Amino acid sequence: MDSLNDHDLEKLNEKDKVELRQFLANESQKARVQATVHSLTDTCFKKCVTGTIRNGKLDKTEESCMANCTERFFDISSLTMKHLQNLRNT
Amino acid sequence: MDSETVKTEVIREVREQYAMDNARQLIEKINKHCFERCVPKPGASLSGGEQTCFTQCMEKYMSAWNQVSTTYINRLQRER
Repeated sequence: MDSLNDHDLEKLNEKDKVELRQFLANESQKARVQATVHSLTDTCFKKCVTGTIRNGKLDKTEESCMANCTERFFDISSLTMKHLQNLRNT
Repeated sequence: MDSETVKTEVIREVREQYAMDNARQLIEKINKHCFERCVPKPGASLSGGEQTCFTQCMEKYMSAWNQVSTTYINRLQRER
């Protein structure tokens, strides 16, 4: 099928518009999570996979390092939020 | 085209775009990391060793991505 144009979009009825808005909101949230996963993998791979690459699997140490790296990043971003909130309240 | 068809088509296009974008980001990172790792001194051609390293590095990076994705999403759900 050819790509949609503006004229086609005008054919959407109210019910489908509401549905689409919901769908797009969900997708953009998913895209934000995915962007974080990409940037975290980038950062954590550098920290966790430091030895010579001998096989395609993550070994146990690398695997737990990737998980810890992700968790600690999460801690840090919560801390940032908390600090900023404190600053606003003082 | 009726409303239903337009809606379905929008959804299809958005999903396709999303998948393409995801693949593009992953490929970009794999190339960056694994090139740096496996081809420290680029020669006249890719050696067998460099190619093996690259394939393994690529698999490793994808496992690492999956690990981060699972951990991150679990944490998001726990914090909610």
